[in-house]
Amino acid sequence: MRLFILSVLLFSQALFADSYLIKNGRLVTMGMQGVIENGDIHIVDGRIVEVAQEINPESMDEVIDAGGAYVTPGLFDSGTQLGLAEVEKYVGSTDNRVKGQPLGAGFSPALALNRYSSFVPMVRKEGITRAMVLPVTGSEILAGQSALVQLGGNAPFSTNDGNAVHLYLREVDRKLAGGSQASALTQAVNSLKEAERFGKNKRAYQSGKTREFRQSENDLKTLLQVLNRDMTLVIHLDRAADIETVIAELNVFNIRLVIAGGREAWKVKELLAEREIPVVLNVIDNLPSRFDRLGARLDNAALLVGAGVKVAFMTQDLYSDTRSLTQAAGVAVAYGLTWHQAMKAITVNPAAIWGLENYGSLEAGQVADIVIWDGDPLEVMSAPTRLMIDGRWINLTTRQDLLRDRYSDLDKQDIPFGYR
Amino acid sequence: MGNQVSRLKVSLHLVLLFLVTHATAEEGRYQSTYKARQAPDTLIHSATLFTGDGGVIEAGYIKMAGGTIEAVGSGMPATLDNLDTALDASGKWVTPGIIDVHSHLGDYPSPRYRPHLDGNEATAPVTAEVWAEHSVWPQDPQFPLALAGGVTTLQILPGSANLFGGRSVVVKNVSSRTVQGMKFPGAHHGLKMACGENPKLVYGEKGGPKTRMGNFAGYRQAWINALEYQAKWQNYREDLAQFESATKEDKEKKKPSPPKRDLSMETLVEVLEGRILVHNHCYRADEMAQMIDLSKEFGYRITAFHHAVEAYKVADLLAANNICAAMWADWGRFKLESFDAVKENVSLVHKASACAIVHSDSATGIQRLNQEAAKSLAAGRRMGLNISEAEAFAWITLNPARALGIDERTGSLAEGKMADVVVWNGSPFSVYSRVEKVYIDGSLVYDLEKDLKPVSDFELGHRVRGL
Repeated sequence: MRLFILSVLLFSQALFADSYLIKNGRLVTMGMQGVIENGDIHIVDGRIVEVAQEINPESMDEVIDAGGAYVTPGLFDSGTQLGLAEVEKYVGSTDNRVKGQPLGAGFSPALALNRYSSFVPMVRKEGITRAMVLPVTGSEILAGQSALVQLGGNAPFSTNDGNAVHLYLREVDRKLAGGSQASALTQAVNSLKEAERFGKNKRAYQSGKTREFRQSENDLKTLLQVLNRDMTLVIHLDRAADIETVIAELNVFNIRLVIAGGREAWKVKELLAEREIPVVLNVIDNLPSRFDRLGARLDNAALLVGAGVKVAFMTQDLYSDTRSLTQAAGVAVAYGLTWHQAMKAITVNPAAIWGLENYGSLEAGQVADIVIWDGDPLEVMSAPTRLMIDGRWINLTTRQDLLRDRYSDLDKQDIPFGYR
Repeated sequence: MGNQVSRLKVSLHLVLLFLVTHATAEEGRYQSTYKARQAPDTLIHSATLFTGDGGVIEAGYIKMAGGTIEAVGSGMPATLDNLDTALDASGKWVTPGIIDVHSHLGDYPSPRYRPHLDGNEATAPVTAEVWAEHSVWPQDPQFPLALAGGVTTLQILPGSANLFGGRSVVVKNVSSRTVQGMKFPGAHHGLKMACGENPKLVYGEKGGPKTRMGNFAGYRQAWINALEYQAKWQNYREDLAQFESATKEDKEKKKPSPPKRDLSMETLVEVLEGRILVHNHCYRADEMAQMIDLSKEFGYRITAFHHAVEAYKVADLLAANNICAAMWADWGRFKLESFDAVKENVSLVHKASACAIVHSDSATGIQRLNQEAAKSLAAGRRMGLNISEAEAFAWITLNPARALGIDERTGSLAEGKMADVVVWNGSPFSVYSRVEKVYIDGSLVYDLEKDLKPVSDFELGHRVRGL
């Protein structure tokens, strides 16, 4: 029985009902309607059907009075290892990389995602409903494909695996491709050219009449999708000069590019704006910890957005992981970004960058990913009070809450802690 | 009369011996050369003051003179004579300088390449002989970044690979060519000890310890050795005193020769004699309880458990033994012993009347310790704990000062203390607030509006100042 209750608490995806009315919210719609004070949202069968100052539908399964609280779309973390490892170091498997296998771009860690990880409820509790789960480098600079995940609701955990391929060209990655940035970039370009050749001669490949390719068929097929613009190529790199070179070298391919990391991206912001290349940032990592990121600074986001570059935020490598996405967005505001632009970087911008339809704003027709907050969502002292993914309310209890409750009264000595 | 003279002679000898055998380093070389800069007498008024000791003063003022805090109060001081500068801080917050009890700035500096990794003498499980200050690079560009976050004092520790990692150093966050020029005058050294995963994982395949019980045997043997070493020196001192005070005829006896010095044992003996404070990296509740027993077996005091992720499970034990817990707001799950991290940890420890500290152990985290305290406070309040912002501010000011043994001199806005003061452009509990001014010993060392910031040699020509 106890076990049953626990599993319901932790893993139940939703408490069922079909239609909801959220009333009196400070609605941060992230759409054309801007912010609506004391507004209403009508949700039916997992979709937002209306957002307006006042809605009075005929029937309703549940009415929730937000009491003037902030209501936002569910937030999006554009880079995390969520669901690929229970503990970062030394424990069991970390499924975020592949080593010593003929597998590069074709590697899809989505196959290993654990939707039942007790880390998932912890992340939801921060108001995050969607995330981009990334592969990191094992033995190839083309590390594999990312998975777009939703952290609950009706749909499968991974909604659109394989929508982007990740290429790592940071200083630390060069050793995987000959030790020079030049050899790494050459290898990346050659990999794309190989896929191009493969695409033109598929029949010859299948009958074994082509020259031997460096990459496996899996990899070639994946990169072909990049060349066809069905997938995005996300390049992880920081140094300004490298960003310029990479953009120039990849110009021969008509592909969709995203820069991730981009610690010195502000130095080449005009180029990025002109080429309409979005940048996914670690907002708070401003350390000159390597020579390829001497220019790291906290107002990177503000400078990029000021030049017209679309930005999204990721927590990868952050101080406290996915838990601090809103804090990072708040810090970007403290360093010059507008509040609205910071909100965009964790809602509508990732939706646009990763090609996620019907998500990111509180507007009619959108999937109902909705968070009600106890304060300004970007403030460090705020937290969600209710959270809906895909039209279902999510139980916000975490394993951490159970631990806290067990040890909340140390004076009570009559019952051993294991029975509390 | 003669008797008196010889007694005087004996005590003089004892003083000299003490200096020779114990305090060579502190009293002789490696001294702090930090001198507070000449600072104008400054009044900051009309601000909200978090005093650091749990107090708050609305529309308050602070007057700094000669590098120390001359007066703190509400309204305006009785006299405005002898003022060089007056600053109207309406709508702003004024707090003590932030103190980070756990940092590796300078010993794990940026840029972070192998030639710069000087934080862990991971060559043997017991390296109590090493001193962090001999690794600290004062040109680490991370120091100015921490200053922009309001950090005025920090403890720099050796890493946690070893059972005994070595001595820590407490520094003021001031621009200096030398680490001696940063050292907090008169502050104790700390001794870094480490529980749990790190020592056993580092040495498991290198001769041990390989298990937690192996860790424990290692601590005990080292303390046994230290007691023996202490006794050897005590015997020597007694023999020498006897020799020096003996009559001429007796002096034909051979003068006792001192035992061989052992740097590692010297550190441990100084702990046993209360001159070095123990800072013990320890995540798990059960291990903290064991370490408390260990300290009782050998008669030393644990000043603080660091990274005390499970402190909430034994907060009563920590309170009863007067041990501080230095914690993160929400860092956890990066290793198995941090798996049970809860956000309410700091608040729960505070509510158990133990000394709660928010620390960083991170060159990014140190830039926002106020926000880390805010997150911890918010989590505590959400579970119904009634804690004020002013109380929570002690987690990053007076409580770490206590753990470093410098609470009589800094850590709160109190008359006579060092004028280590931060002016914030909004509430330090808001993510949007920035540090506007930092004073160290009354001297303005950071000013956001005037773009006054120290720039490390490494940053020159490389970076935009202070971001």
